[in-house]
Amino acid sequence: MTDFLFTMILSELEDAVGRENCSTHEIDKITHSVDYFWLSRMWADRGRRMPEADVVVSPKNAEEVSKVLKIANYYKIPVTTWGGGGGTQGGAIPVAGGILLDTKRMNKIYDFNESSMYIEAGAGTIYKHLEWAANERGYATMHYPSSLTCSTVGGFLAHRGIGVVSTKYGKIDDMTLQMEIVLPNGDIIYTSPAPKHAAGPDLNQIFIGSEGTLGVITKAQMRIYDQPEDRRFRGFLFKNMHDAFAASKELLQKFKPSVMRLYNEAETASLIKKIVGVEKPGAFMNIAYEGVKEIVDVEEKILLETFARYNAEDLGSEYGEKWWKEKITFFYPGHMMDLPQMFGTMDTIAPYDKIEKIYWAMKEAIETNFPMARFIAHFSHWYEWGCMIYDRFIVDDVPQDPAEALRLHNAIWSLGVRTAIANGGVVNDHHGVGIKLGRLMKEQYGPAMQVFEGLKKSLDPNGIMNPFKLGL
Amino acid sequence: MELNKTNSNTVDQCRFCWMCRHICPIGNATGQERNTARARALSLSLVKRGAAKLEGDIVDNLYECALCRGCSNDCATGFDPTAFTKEARLSAALEGNMPSYVAKLIENINSTGNIYGEKQVSSVLLDEIRDLDPSAKTLFFIGKDGAYRTPETASEAVKLLKKAGVSFKVHKYEPNSGYDIDFLIGAAKETKDVMQKCADEIKAQNVDTVVCYDPADAKVFLHEYKEYGIELGCKVVTFPAFVLSLIKDGKLSPKKADKEYTVQDSAILARDLDDTDSVRGVLSACGKLKEMLLFGKATMLAGNLIMNEYIPGVMALVAEDRIQNALHVGAVTLVTSSPAEYRLLKDNAKGRIEILSLEEAVAKCL
Repeated sequence: MTDFLFTMILSELEDAVGRENCSTHEIDKITHSVDYFWLSRMWADRGRRMPEADVVVSPKNAEEVSKVLKIANYYKIPVTTWGGGGGTQGGAIPVAGGILLDTKRMNKIYDFNESSMYIEAGAGTIYKHLEWAANERGYATMHYPSSLTCSTVGGFLAHRGIGVVSTKYGKIDDMTLQMEIVLPNGDIIYTSPAPKHAAGPDLNQIFIGSEGTLGVITKAQMRIYDQPEDRRFRGFLFKNMHDAFAASKELLQKFKPSVMRLYNEAETASLIKKIVGVEKPGAFMNIAYEGVKEIVDVEEKILLETFARYNAEDLGSEYGEKWWKEKITFFYPGHMMDLPQMFGTMDTIAPYDKIEKIYWAMKEAIETNFPMARFIAHFSHWYEWGCMIYDRFIVDDVPQDPAEALRLHNAIWSLGVRTAIANGGVVNDHHGVGIKLGRLMKEQYGPAMQVFEGLKKSLDPNGIMNPFKLGL
Repeated sequence: MELNKTNSNTVDQCRFCWMCRHICPIGNATGQERNTARARALSLSLVKRGAAKLEGDIVDNLYECALCRGCSNDCATGFDPTAFTKEARLSAALEGNMPSYVAKLIENINSTGNIYGEKQVSSVLLDEIRDLDPSAKTLFFIGKDGAYRTPETASEAVKLLKKAGVSFKVHKYEPNSGYDIDFLIGAAKETKDVMQKCADEIKAQNVDTVVCYDPADAKVFLHEYKEYGIELGCKVVTFPAFVLSLIKDGKLSPKKADKEYTVQDSAILARDLDDTDSVRGVLSACGKLKEMLLFGKATMLAGNLIMNEYIPGVMALVAEDRIQNALHVGAVTLVTSSPAEYRLLKDNAKGRIEILSLEEAVAKCL
C-alpha cells in the first residue's frame, strides 16, 4: 500500500474514532503484537518482533466499531480484535497486519439490573471491574479464572472462558443473557432478549467462541449471583485417579460443588506441594461447596459419605482454604512455568467413559514421543456427564533457534491434541483455538466444519475478520 | 539502556504478565493497552534484546506511568515495575532521548525552582506565613504543589497549626525537595544536587522537626535521601500524622458531628510511607468514615500534577475515575491529604461531590 493511500485510510479511521484513539505508534504496535501465547513470548524473548498491526484503533461503542468495520471492509483490510491480550492461543495477535481493534474503551457499565440479576457492560470492561461493581451491591459474578484481573468481558466471551467455580455456576456461555454485536459489514445486531427460547438456533452460542472471526462483541449482559451465605472447602487425597473419577461422578449426581479440582500424582507432587503444602503421595482433590448454610450442611454430609466409600483421605479444610487464597498466585511470574521453559496447556473435555482413556493416552503419547517433556495434569471443571483435563507439558531444554523451538512446540501440540481427538476429546475446553490450533479444527469437525465456514463466508465475505484464526 | 540486575530481571518477569492491569489508574482511565506494566516491560525487554530502541514513543510511554506503585502493591510475587520504569527514564535521559516536555520541566526547576516555572508564591499563602517565629524548631515544609497549585489549602494548613498553638516556621524561599526531578529522571546527578541543596538549606534552619504538608516531599526525605546518602539531620513527620498528634495532645479539639467522610488515600502515604491510619484518626475525630472501593494500601491514584503538565486530559480522566468510585458508594465528601490529588479532584468534581483537604475538614469542625 502506498503512503498516500495508507494516510487516506488512517484519516478515515481517525474520523471514525477520534485521532487520539487511532495510533500508529511503535509502542502500541509492539504492545498488541504479543499475547500470552507461548510462541509469541518465545519469539519476543529471542529478540524477534512479532507481526504487528499497521494501526491500532480504540472505539468507544458499537457505532464507532461499525464505522471501523465499514472502512475495513471497503478497503479489505484485516481487523483483529483485542480485549485484554491474555489469551494463550494467539487469537488476538494481528498476524496479517491491518487494523488492531482494542475494545478496552468500551468499558461502560450500562445497567445494573437487580430485578433480573445481570449487569450490562461494554465488552472492553475488565472482568475484575465487573466483579467489583457486583461486590459493591452484595453480589458476585462467579466467573473467576486466573485471568480475572487481566481479561475483558468480550475476551472471555470470544474464547468461551471458564472460571474456578464453574461446576456450580457454569462457563461464560452459561452466564450470558443478551449481546450486542457488530457484524463485519457494520450492522449492529442484538441476540435474543432471553438466553433460553425456541426462536431458532441460539445466536449467543454462534458468536460466543467465534474469536472475532464473525464480528465484534461490543456489549453483553452478564449474570450476577447472590454471595454465598457459606463457602466451605475440603481437601482429599485419593490413592489413584480412577477412584477419584468414580467418586466425583457419583457426587455430581447428588449435588454440584462450586470447586472441584483433582490433580494427578505428578502435579500433586510439584505445584500443589509448592503452593498448598500437601506432602503426601497420591492424587489431591479440592472441593468447595457453597450457598445457603442449611443446604451446605447437607452437601457436606453427602460429600464425606461419598468420598469415604472410595477410601479418600479427608485432609480437612486447611488445604482448600489455602488453595482458594492462593488460587491466582499460581499464575504470577515466579510461581508459574516460564521461559526459558516451553510449556502448554492442552485442555480437553470428554464424557466420563472416555476421560481416563484420553488422559492415559495423552500422557503416554507425549512422554513416549517427546521424552524431554514432563506431563502434569489436573481436572478442574466437572459436569454430571464428564469433565475436562487441564494437561500440561513442560520442556526445560528448548532449542535456542526460534524456528526450531516453534517446530518442536507445534509437534508436541499436534500430537497431544490429535491423541485427545482420536480418543473422544475436543480440540480445546476453555482457552479457545486461535492460530495455535486452527489447523486441527477440520480434523475435529470433518464435514461439520462447513457450518462454520458457511457462516464465515456469509457474514465476512471479504475474510477481513481475524484471519487465520479458528481454522477459518 | 542501562538497567541494574534487579530491574533487568523485573522487566523480563513482567513482560508477559497482566495480573496488575486492573489496578493501574492510568490504564483504567485511558483504556490503552500500553498503559500497563506489561507493555512497558515488553517494550524494554525488546530494547534489551536490540529489537527496539529506547526513543520516541517508547520513552513517552515511560512517562505515562505515575509511579504510584499500585502494580507493585498488587503483585503476589513482589515485583516492582515502577523501579525499572524510573531507571529506564534515567537511561533515556543519559542517552539524550529525554522527551522535550520533560526537558522543559527540568529547565523550569533549574530556572525557578519548581516544575511549573512559577516565580511568585500566591499572596494568600505569603500573607499567612509572614509573621512566624524564625527561631521555631519545627519547620512546616509546604512543597511545590502546595505553594503553587493549592495555596488556598496550604494557607488553611498554616492557620490550623497556628490555631493549635504550634511554634513553627515556613521557609519563605522554600527549596525544592527533589521529588519532581526524581520523578522525572530518577537517580541522576542533577537530582542528587537538588536534594543536597535542599538538605543544606533545611539544616541551616536549625530545626529538629520537618512537618511535610505534601506526602511526596516526606517520601523523598525518608527514602531517596537515605538511598542517595543525603543527611537531613532532623525528624520528618507527615502533616496527617502531625495533626493527629495535635488532636491526641488536646491542642486541636474538633467537634465530632454526623458528617460522613470518604478518604482518598494518597498512594505515597499508603504505599511508600505505610500510613493510612493518621488521616482516618483525624477524620474519626470530626465525624464518621465511609470507605470506597480501593482504600488504604490498595488505593488508586486520583492524579499527579507533574503529569498534568504534559497529559492533562489523562489526569482529568484519572480524577474522574476516583470521583466515580466515591459516588458509587454514595459518598458526599471526599477528603485527601495530597495537594496534587486535591487540585485534580477539585477541578474535576464539578459540584457532584464535596472535595476537602484534610485541614479544611478539620477547620470546619473547630
